[in-house]
Amino acid sequence: MEDLIGQGRAAIDLIVDAESFREGEVGALTISDEEFGASAVIGTATLNGEVCTVIASDAMTANPKFPVVYAGIIGLEEGYKMALAVYHSIKADQDLPLAEKRPLLLIVDTPGNGAGKQEEIFGMNKATGAYQMALAEARKAGHPIVAIVVGRAISGGFLCHGLQADHVLSLGPKFNTMIHVMPISSISRITKLNIEWLQELAENNPVFAAGPDYFYKLGGVEEIISSIESMRERVVNHVAQVRALKIAGREEELGPWGRGALSVERGSRMARNKVIQTMNDEFAQVAGQYLV
Amino acid sequence: MSSQWKNLQQRSFLECNARIRAIGLVDPGTFTELAGPRHRFSSPHLPLLGEAVEFDDGIVTGVGLLGRKPVFVASQEGRFIGGAVGEVHGAKLVNIVRMARQAYDQMLQANPDLPEAKRPAVVISFETGGVRLHEANAGLLAHAELMDQFQDCKGKVPLIALIGSRVGCFGGMGFAAVAMDVIIMSQFGRLGLTGPEVIEEELGKDEFDASDRALVYRTTGGRHKYIMGDCNYLVSDSVAAFREALAQVLTKPYAEIAAMGCIGSLEKVESQLKLVDLCVATAPKDARDVWKSAGNETPDELTDMPLDEFLETVKRLTARC
Repeated sequence: MEDLIGQGRAAIDLIVDAESFREGEVGALTISDEEFGASAVIGTATLNGEVCTVIASDAMTANPKFPVVYAGIIGLEEGYKMALAVYHSIKADQDLPLAEKRPLLLIVDTPGNGAGKQEEIFGMNKATGAYQMALAEARKAGHPIVAIVVGRAISGGFLCHGLQADHVLSLGPKFNTMIHVMPISSISRITKLNIEWLQELAENNPVFAAGPDYFYKLGGVEEIISSIESMRERVVNHVAQVRALKIAGREEELGPWGRGALSVERGSRMARNKVIQTMNDEFAQVAGQYLV
Repeated sequence: MSSQWKNLQQRSFLECNARIRAIGLVDPGTFTELAGPRHRFSSPHLPLLGEAVEFDDGIVTGVGLLGRKPVFVASQEGRFIGGAVGEVHGAKLVNIVRMARQAYDQMLQANPDLPEAKRPAVVISFETGGVRLHEANAGLLAHAELMDQFQDCKGKVPLIALIGSRVGCFGGMGFAAVAMDVIIMSQFGRLGLTGPEVIEEELGKDEFDASDRALVYRTTGGRHKYIMGDCNYLVSDSVAAFREALAQVLTKPYAEIAAMGCIGSLEKVESQLKLVDLCVATAPKDARDVWKSAGNETPDELTDMPLDEFLETVKRLTARC
C-alpha cells in the first residue's frame, strides 16, 4: 500500500481493533439510512480494547442528494452527521470520570466543504460550524480527540475535520498527504506572484507552503508519522498522552491553543505570541477602568 | 469627542472603516484600542512577497463600555487585503475573545454575584473573506483557535456578530459568525462559506452567475439570512442602528442570549437537520423557492420593498433563532 488517499474506510481498519468497527452507531444514536450523509462515516470501535468514536470521510461514496458532495467532500448532511456523532459521544459518557471518557478518532482525508448553491442557501457554514463547536465541546468535556491525516486535509475541510482535535498527527509527505489552504500554483494565480519564486520562498517560510512538514513547523501538526504500520501505535500513544494531560488539568497545552504554544517551541508564528503578550500587558494598564 | 461620536452614529455602516465602527459601537469616549497602530504590528510575511503592510494588519481590537458592561470589540477592515486573516490579524482576533473570557473569570472570582449588567461581552464586526492566502497556514490555524476560544466563552460571555460591511463574511470566518450567539445584519451584509466566484467555478455560469448581484444577495444577503433564521436581527444601514440592536441584545439575561444561536447543541443540530430535509424535499433552484416554502406567497416582492415593510410582512422559515 503506497498511500491511503481516498481510503478512509481502509484507514479505520488499520487503526482500530480488528473487526471492532460498528458503523452508524454512537451511544444512543443509530443511523440506519445508508443514504444519509453518505460521504461521512461515523461509528464506534474499540481501540486497544477501549470504546472509541470514529469519524472519517468516504471518498468512494458520493451523496446522491447533493451533486457537489463526492470524493470525500463534507456536505450539509455530512457536517451535521459528524456533529451528531460527537454530541452522542458526550452524552453517552456524561457521567463518567475523565479517565473513562471515550476517545474520538478523526481520520482525515477530505478536499473540503460542499461548494454549491443549495449549500449556500441553507448555510454550509452552519453544518460544519456545528461540527467544529461540537468537537471543541467534547474536547473540553474531557474526551481525548486525536486526528490523523491520511490523505487530503484541505483548507476549510481540515479546519472542520482535524484542527479542533487535541492532537493532530499526519502521515508524512511520502504518502502523498496534502495539507494546505491552496496549492502554491493557485496562490500564484490569485496573488499574481511568480510560482518559482514562491516555491523558493516557501523553503524558509512555512506560512503559505503546502505540505504536512510545513504545518509541523508551524505547530499545526503535533507529529509526523513515518509508516502506515505505525499509525495504530502512534494514535494509541497520543490518546494516552492527551488523557494524561487532561487528568493533570493541563488542557491549555492541547487543542488549537496548545498548538499555538507549540509553534513558539518550533520557532514559528513568533508575531502571534508577541501580539498576544502586548494586548494583555496593555489591557492590564487600563483594566481598572473597565472591570469594576 | 462626544460631538464627533454623535456625528458618526448617522453614518452608513457599510461605508465606515473598521476603527470608526469600533469606536461608534460603544459609549462615547470609552474605546481603548489594544495592539493598535502605534505598536506597528504588521504582517512579517507580506514584505517577503513584496506586498504592502498596515500597522494594524487590517483589524482593530480593543475594549469599551456599554453602560457598565465591558465590551471586547474586534472590527475587520475590508480595504486591507479584503479583511483576510493572517498571523497578526488572527492573533488579535483570537486574543480579544480570550481576554473577554478571562475578564469574566476574574470578575466572577471577585464577585460571585456578578450582575448581568457588568457581564463582559464580545462583539465582532466582520468584514472578511477568511484566510489570507499570503500567509494561509497561519491564517487557517488562527481560525481554529478562534472557534476554540468561542467554546471557552460558552456559559460565560455573550458573543455577538455584526455583518454589514462591503466584503461580507465568508470563508472560514463564516463558521466563526454562526458559532456566535447572535447575528445582527443589515440588508447589505452577506454571510456564507463559499464565495460566489468559487460556486460559479464549481457549478458553471448557467447554474450560478457570480456577476449577478441580485442573485448573490438573494443567496447570502441579510434579507435571505433573516428569512432562514440565521440572522437574528435585520437593521438599517447606520452605525446607530447596529449599536442600538447590540445594546438591546445585551440587556437580555445571558441565558436568553445563549439560546438565540443556530448551532451549539444536539437539539439545535437536530432542528437544523429538518431544514436540510426541506432542502432535499424541495430541491430549490433559487433562494426565492425557499422563501415561498416559508410561506411568502410572492417572494419576488421581498427583495425591493422598504426594510420596515419587509420586517412587517416577511414570514421566516424558523422563528427559533
